[in-house]
Amino acid sequence: MKRQRRLSPSILVMLGALAFAGVACGGGDAEEPAAPATTAAPTAVAAGPLRVAIVAPSASDDLAFSQSMVDSVNALERDVELSITDGTFIVEDAAAAIRGYAEDGNDVVIAHGTQFGASLMEIAPDFPDVTFVWGTASDTQGLDNVFAYAPAADEGGYVNGSIAASLTDSGVIGVVGPIEAGDAVAYINGFEAGALAGGASEVNITYTGSFGDVALAAEAAEAHLANDVDVLTGTAQMVVGAVGVATDAGVPWFGTQANQTSLAPDLVVASQVYHWEVVLEEMLALRDGGVLGGQAFEINLANGGLVIEFNDGFELPAGVRDAAEAMIEAITNGTVDTSNATPAVAAGPLRVAIVAPSASDDLAFSQSMVDSVNALERDVELSITDGTFIVEDAAAAIRGYAEDGNDVVIAHGTQFGASLMEIAPDFPDVTFVWGTASDTQGLDNVFAYAPAADEGGYVNGSIAASLTDSGVIGVVGPIEAGDAVAYINGFEAGALAGGASEVNITYTGSFGDVALAAEAAEAHLANDVDVLTGTAQMVVGAVGVATDAGVPWFGTQANQTSLAPDLVVASQVYHWEVVLEEMLALRDGGVLGGQAFEINLANGGLVIEFNDGFELPAGVRDAAEAMIEAITNGTVSTGS
Amino acid sequence: MLKAVLGALVPLLAAVVAFAFGAIMLLALGASPLAGLDAMLDGAFGSGSRIAATAVKATPLILVGAGITIAFRTSVINIGGESQIIAGALLSTVVALSLPDLPAFILVPLVLLAGAIGGTILGAIPGALKAYASVNEILSTIMLNLVMVQFMNFLLRGPLIDPFELEAGTRIPQTQRLSDNAALPTLIDGTRLHIGVPVAVLAAVVAYLVLWRTPTGFRLRAVGHSPEAARAAGINVKRNVTLAMALSGSLAGIAGSILVFGSEGQRMVTDGSAAGFTGSAGFNGIVAALFGGLHPLWTIPSAMLFGALLTGATQLQRVLQVPAALAVALNGIIVIFVISSTPVRGWLQRSLADSGLFNRSTDHVEAD
Amino acid sequence: MGDFFTLSVLVATAASAIRLATPYLLASLGETIGQRSGVLNLGVDGVMLLSAFFSYWAVLETGNLWLAVLVGLVVGLAMGILYGVITVGLSATQGISGIGIFIFGLGLSDLLFRQQVGTPKPVRRLPNVDVPILSDIPHLGEALFQRNLLTYLAFLLVPATALLLSRTTFGLNIRSVGENPQAADSLGVSVERTRFVAILIGNSMAGLAGAALVLQLGIFQPNLTQGLGFIAVALVYFGAWRPAGVMGGALLYGLVNATVLQWKALGIIPVSGSDLANMAPAILTILALIALARRVHAPSALTKPFTRH
Repeated sequence: MKRQRRLSPSILVMLGALAFAGVACGGGDAEEPAAPATTAAPTAVAAGPLRVAIVAPSASDDLAFSQSMVDSVNALERDVELSITDGTFIVEDAAAAIRGYAEDGNDVVIAHGTQFGASLMEIAPDFPDVTFVWGTASDTQGLDNVFAYAPAADEGGYVNGSIAASLTDSGVIGVVGPIEAGDAVAYINGFEAGALAGGASEVNITYTGSFGDVALAAEAAEAHLANDVDVLTGTAQMVVGAVGVATDAGVPWFGTQANQTSLAPDLVVASQVYHWEVVLEEMLALRDGGVLGGQAFEINLANGGLVIEFNDGFELPAGVRDAAEAMIEAITNGTVDTSNATPAVAAGPLRVAIVAPSASDDLAFSQSMVDSVNALERDVELSITDGTFIVEDAAAAIRGYAEDGNDVVIAHGTQFGASLMEIAPDFPDVTFVWGTASDTQGLDNVFAYAPAADEGGYVNGSIAASLTDSGVIGVVGPIEAGDAVAYINGFEAGALAGGASEVNITYTGSFGDVALAAEAAEAHLANDVDVLTGTAQMVVGAVGVATDAGVPWFGTQANQTSLAPDLVVASQVYHWEVVLEEMLALRDGGVLGGQAFEINLANGGLVIEFNDGFELPAGVRDAAEAMIEAITNGTVSTGS
Repeated sequence: MLKAVLGALVPLLAAVVAFAFGAIMLLALGASPLAGLDAMLDGAFGSGSRIAATAVKATPLILVGAGITIAFRTSVINIGGESQIIAGALLSTVVALSLPDLPAFILVPLVLLAGAIGGTILGAIPGALKAYASVNEILSTIMLNLVMVQFMNFLLRGPLIDPFELEAGTRIPQTQRLSDNAALPTLIDGTRLHIGVPVAVLAAVVAYLVLWRTPTGFRLRAVGHSPEAARAAGINVKRNVTLAMALSGSLAGIAGSILVFGSEGQRMVTDGSAAGFTGSAGFNGIVAALFGGLHPLWTIPSAMLFGALLTGATQLQRVLQVPAALAVALNGIIVIFVISSTPVRGWLQRSLADSGLFNRSTDHVEAD
Repeated sequence: MGDFFTLSVLVATAASAIRLATPYLLASLGETIGQRSGVLNLGVDGVMLLSAFFSYWAVLETGNLWLAVLVGLVVGLAMGILYGVITVGLSATQGISGIGIFIFGLGLSDLLFRQQVGTPKPVRRLPNVDVPILSDIPHLGEALFQRNLLTYLAFLLVPATALLLSRTTFGLNIRSVGENPQAADSLGVSVERTRFVAILIGNSMAGLAGAALVLQLGIFQPNLTQGLGFIAVALVYFGAWRPAGVMGGALLYGLVNATVLQWKALGIIPVSGSDLANMAPAILTILALIALARRVHAPSALTKPFTRH
C-alpha cells in the first residue's frame, strides 16, 4: 500500500501538459487586461458601442426563451457589442459568467433566467457601475443597478386560446408544458382562460416535467391527440417534439416566446413573440440619464413588447382574425382581464345553483333568472331551490349549495342580502350572485345585479297611454321596493308623458297573494281603468281579471304573453344572461366577484317583447321603438 | 528511473494530442488555439479569486470522488452520486428552514451533518437492495437519480418553495433565502473560498484514514478483494456492502449541502433537471476518483484539475464566444486520451487489482 | 378514470409505449451483446447523440430517410471502432473511457448542431407502415402493427439477438469470452477479436437507436437523449443479460411513461401531482426488479480487460 504515495502519473501528465502550454503562451499573456473604467461617469455614453452581455439558460437559437432575448438585443437601435454565454442552466456556472462579464467591463449584463436572481443579488452590489438586467422577474429586490423584466405571457396566451377555441371542432384543446413555473405557467393559464371563455369545452394540460425532453413532449402531444384534441400549444424549447407530432397529424399549433412558424409553416396559426427590445430601450435610456436600475418592466400587448405574429401561411376562417384583433384591443384597454395565476374554471360543466323566492315557472321574477341561466352559451349543470320566500330557508339553501361545491350560487332576491353577507366569506372560491341589488357590500366573491326596470316601465307606460280611451291606467304592485317600484315609477312617468290623465297604483303589500292582486285589479276596473299592468308573481291574479274584462295588459320581468294571448300587449323581459356572461368571464379570469351590474335597454339585458297576437294601432309600434331608442341614447330620461 | 520518464512521456504525448485536437476544433470555429488555451488557464488560475473559484468548483468533486473510492474499494459501483447530492441538499435545506436562528457555529456543522445523513440514506438504499435483494446497484442508482430529480422538483415547487414566488406567481423552483447563520464562512475575503473546501479535503483525508487505518476499512477492502475469503474470515459481507454505499453516499450528501450553503444566492434552486443543481458533480466525481487511482488523497489534485477544466471552459466561452459545447467535447477527448495511454492503464490496473473491483463481482454473493 | 379505460385511449397508450420503447430497446440490445462479451460501455448516450445528429443532418440535406438510418448506423460503427481500439487495443478502464465517450459525444453533437444547423428545423419523420393482415386486427393491430420500420426492426432484433447468442458459434464465442476469457483463449478463440466485433455490433445498434429517436421525432436538439443511453445500460441489468428480459424492461419503462402522460392529459393526474408522477417509471422499474429477484448472473469477465497470463 506504500505504493500509493507515489504521485499519480495521470496527474503528472496533466500538470505537465498545462505547464507546457502555459509556457508556450508566454508569461505576460496570462495576465488579463485591467477592467476598463468606461462606466465611471454614468451620464456619459461610452464612446464606441455599448458592451452588452447575455447569460442565458438554454441555446441562443432555441426558437424559444433564450432566442427571444438574443433577437431583441440585436434589434436594438444602437451600436452594441454583444457577448453571449448560453446553455448555462447550472445556476453556479451562470453566476460565474455574470460575475465574469461584469469584471470584464461590460456596461450591461443581462441575466436571462429567473433562477439567476439569487446569485444576482449577491453580485450586483459588487459592481455599482454596471447595469444588470434580470428576468423573468417583477421585482428588483431593492437594488438600484438592477432592472427587472417580465412578460405578461398570460395576455398572448389568452388571445391564442380564444383563437384556438374558434378553430377547434372537437372542443378539446391540448397544452404541452414543461414545468409549472415562470412564464410557462402564466402563458398556459392565460391560454386556458382564453380558450374556455371562447367556448372550448376542455383544455387538457400536461406538464412533462422537463424543459429539454423532446421525446417526452412528443408523446405528451400524442396522448392529447388520443383524447380528441384537435388544436395544440405549448411552451419551452422541448415543444419542437410536440410540433412534429402536430405536423404529422395536421393539427394547428400556437406558439409563444418566439415566432415558431418555421417549425410548421402550414400549421402554426400564430405565435406570441417576446419583443424585449421595447423595454430594453427604456432601460438603456434611463441608463443614459444616469439611472442604472431599480425599476421593473413588463412587456405586454399594450406596449408592443408582446406581439401576436400571425402566420400568413395559415388560413383563418372569416372573422377569426378580426375577433382576435378585437380581443387584443380589449386586453390592451383593460376590458378583458387575463392576469390571474389560476383560472377558477374547472373542466366540465359549470355548476350553478339558484335560490329563488317564488316558483321558477312563475312567469315573473324567478322564471326570469332560470330562463337566463338556461340561455347561457356554456355547459351548465343547474340546481334550483325555489319558493323559498322565508329568508332563513333561503339562507340554508344558499349555504347548502355552496357546501355542495357549486361554482356559482345565485341568491335571487334582495331580501337574501343580509344572510349572504354572512355566508359568502365562508366560501371564498364560490361566486355568489345577488340581486336585485346594486352593491356588493365590499365582498369580493359577490356579484350584484339590478335591472333598470324603469326604462321598460317607461316604454310600457307610453304605449299604454296611446291605448287608453278613458285615460285612466291601473297598476297592481306588490311592495314598494326593488325593481317593482322602479318599474312602476317608470311606467307612471311614461304613461303620463304619453298623455294618460291618471295612473292609479295599488301596492297590495304581498309578492304572492294572488287573490289580493285580483281584487286590486277589480278595484281599478271599477274606477274606469281600461289598461292594466303589474309586477311580481302575484300578477297572475290581476291578469285573470283583465282577461275576463277584455282589458289589455303590460307585463314585466318575463314574457307574459301566455297568460293572456289576446290581451298582453308587450312585456319588458329580463335577459340576465347578458350580465351573467360577463360575470362568468370575470370568474374565468380569476375575479370571483366585487362588481355590480345593471341590465338595461342599451346592453340588451332588457328587451321589450311585443305580443304579435295583439294588434296595435298604426304607428304605435314605431313610436315605441323610437321611444326605446331615445331611452337608449339618453335623450329621454326615465330615471328612478 | 529512465523507465519512469519514458513512462510519463507517453501520456504526456497523449495529452498534447488531445489538446491538438482541441486546437483544430478551435481553428475550425475561427478562434485562435493559443487564445483558447490562454483563456482556459486564465479562467482557472488567472487570479486569486479565480483559483478560489476553481477550488470551490472542485469541492463537490473531491467529496464525491472520495466517496467513490470507498465504494469502489468494496467492489460496489456507485453511480448514484447525483441522487445522494440532491438528498443531502434537501435535508440540509429543511434543517436551515426549520432552525434559522441557531448561531452559526452550531448551524453550519448541523447543515453539513444533515447533508451527510441525507446522502447516507440515498446510499444505503441501493446498498441494501444489492446486499439483501440482489438488485444490481448500477440499475438502482441510475433509477434513484431519476427519482430524486423529480422529488427535488416536487419539493422545490411545493412545500419548500419561496413564498414570494407564490405571491408573484412566477413559481421558480427555489427556496427562500436561507438563514445567514448557515452560510459557509468565507476563509479569504474577496474570494469565494469558503469553509467547504477544507471540509472536503478533510473528508478525503478521513476517507483515507478509515480505509487504511481502521478495522472497518480493512473489512471493506477485504470484501472488495474477495467476498468469499472475507466471509470465510467471518466478515459480514452484506452489512459491509451496505455500509460502503452508505459512506459513499454520505460524502456526496455533504457535497450537496455545500452546494447550497456555499452558493452565491444562499438558496437551493434548480431549473428542473438534476444537472441544473448538481452541475453533474455526481458524474464528474467518478472521473476524478478514477483519475486519482481510487485513492482518496490523490482524488484531491485530480478533482482540482478537473475543476480547472470546468472553470476554464466557462472563461473560454465568454472570452472567445465559442460555444460551451466545444469545451465539453474537449473534456471528453482529454478523458479518452489520457485514460488510453498505456502506463496509466498499467498503473491503474495494478492499483485496481488491489482493490479487487474489476476482478470479482460481488454479484456472486451467496446467501448469508 | 373511466375515460382512460376506453378502448381508443388504451390503444393509443399502447402505441405510445411501443414508440417510446424503440430507442431504448435498440440501444439496450446492443449493450447486451457487448456486455455478454465482457465489455461495459457507459458511452451509449454519447454514441446515440452523435448518430442522431448525423442522421438528422442527412435528412435535412437530402430528404432521404433511409440514407439517414444508414448514416446513423455508420456513425455508430465508427464510434464502435473508436471504443474498440480504446478498450480492446489499449485496454483502457471501461468505466471511465465510456464516460469520456459520453462527454465527447454530448459536446461534439451539440457543437456540430450549433455550427451546421443552428435553429431547429423540422424534418420528415419515419412513416408508419402497416403490417399486412396483422394490422387489421381490431385494436391490437392498431397498437402493435401500425408502427414504423425501425420499431419492427427493434423487436425483430430481440429473437435475432437471442438466437445469435445461443445458437451461433459466434454467440458461443461471445459468451465464453465474457465468462472465462482465459479458457476461451486457450481453446483458440481470439478474445480481442470477439470483443471487438461485439463492440462494433453493440455500438452500431446504439447508432440505430439514435437514428430511431431523431427520425421518430423529426427534429434534433442539443442533448436530445436526456440520459436515455444510461437508462438503456441499466435495462441490461434489469433484463439479466437476456434479450427477452431487456425487451420486457424497455416495454415496462415505455408503458409507464406512456400511461403517466395519458393520465396527465385526462386530468387523472392533476397538475399538482406531475412531479410525483414523473417518478413512477423509475420506481416501478426498481420495484419490478425486486419482485422478480432471482439469482442473477453477470458475465464474470464484465469490465475486466483481458491479459494473457
